[in-house]
Amino acid sequence: MANNFWNRLLYHSGNGWWELPKTPWEEPKPKMEGPFGDGVPIIQRMFNRITAAQLLHGTPAFYTMIGAILSIITLIEVWAFNIQELGKMLLPLMLLLSLGKFVLVVAFFMHLRFDRKYYAWVFTGCMLLGVAMFIAVLALINFGGQTQQ
Amino acid sequence: MTTATSTYEVKTEHGEVVNTSTGLSNKKLLMWSFLGSDVMFFGAFIATFLVYRDRSLVGPYPSDILDIPITSVSTFVLLMSSLAMVLALSYVQQGRKILGAFWIASVVVLGIIFMLFQVYEFTTFAQEGLTPRTNLFGTTFFILTGLHGAHVTIGVLWLSFLLYAHLKGALRANNAIDLELAGLYWHFVDIVWIVIFTVIYLISARDGVPPGGVPWVHG
Repeated sequence: MANNFWNRLLYHSGNGWWELPKTPWEEPKPKMEGPFGDGVPIIQRMFNRITAAQLLHGTPAFYTMIGAILSIITLIEVWAFNIQELGKMLLPLMLLLSLGKFVLVVAFFMHLRFDRKYYAWVFTGCMLLGVAMFIAVLALINFGGQTQQ
Repeated sequence: MTTATSTYEVKTEHGEVVNTSTGLSNKKLLMWSFLGSDVMFFGAFIATFLVYRDRSLVGPYPSDILDIPITSVSTFVLLMSSLAMVLALSYVQQGRKILGAFWIASVVVLGIIFMLFQVYEFTTFAQEGLTPRTNLFGTTFFILTGLHGAHVTIGVLWLSFLLYAHLKGALRANNAIDLELAGLYWHFVDIVWIVIFTVIYLISARDGVPPGGVPWVHG
């Protein structure tokens, strides 16, 4: 009883007999909090629904949409290739677009997004090893002399 | 979602009972491991292409010979074959035989069209004077794209066999894993081409005569 009394006296946990005024931080979190309001969680839910986090595979319509996106990215690549003004920006742009296509195919067409995580680990591990070897070969040749024919 | 039926037997989401102690399909794990090793295989050849990029001293050079519009069309064909592949798997898993057969046949046809594009390209290059023995660009180009073409050929043969099995009723929803494995292989061939198209065709296509190189005269 005494414990309860002191608790009520010293710690404000709601409206006691002294009727402290409510403060804003005791209110439940407002729904529209954050710079984008509900946008981010809504997009996350939509993404999970579309990419079927609970389902086993996407729908044919979803796969067709991914195919259309891949085609559009390829068109952008070819269009960007013909722009001479891009200069040195061409390389990073092409790599970025290529990476986007790569990820879309691996995640959705190869079902890594829907499948067991273990397969993703196996493939990602090998990819990292492959990229490391790739960088090692380039570094070795660049720092080890030149070959010309 | 998988359901354990005994200590080592697991029923997969499509009704197939597989013998595994890990809860994973051994066939699929093997395929992913193979694809992982193939990443390193192609990584080595792509790295070799980049190492020797811009080091040929005689023509034809990439800017003289590469035809981006044609290769863009063949890239589109391969991307669409990947889409057809995933649709084929989806319909076979649903037990829709005619749609499944149609999309598997589409993959085979698109794969053959892609191969014909490659045959056309190789023939044209040879007629123009670029062979694997001409210069470093020719050697690395033909080896890399040729190995990719060999992968496509194997994929087409594999899928033709699966199409036959599907039409005969041997490939059904409960053993669609066999088509899924072929699909993984086919999509991998597609992603390798995505990288090749970017590295060889889009990034290197503007490479002209390097310092010390002899300008190439057509014909």
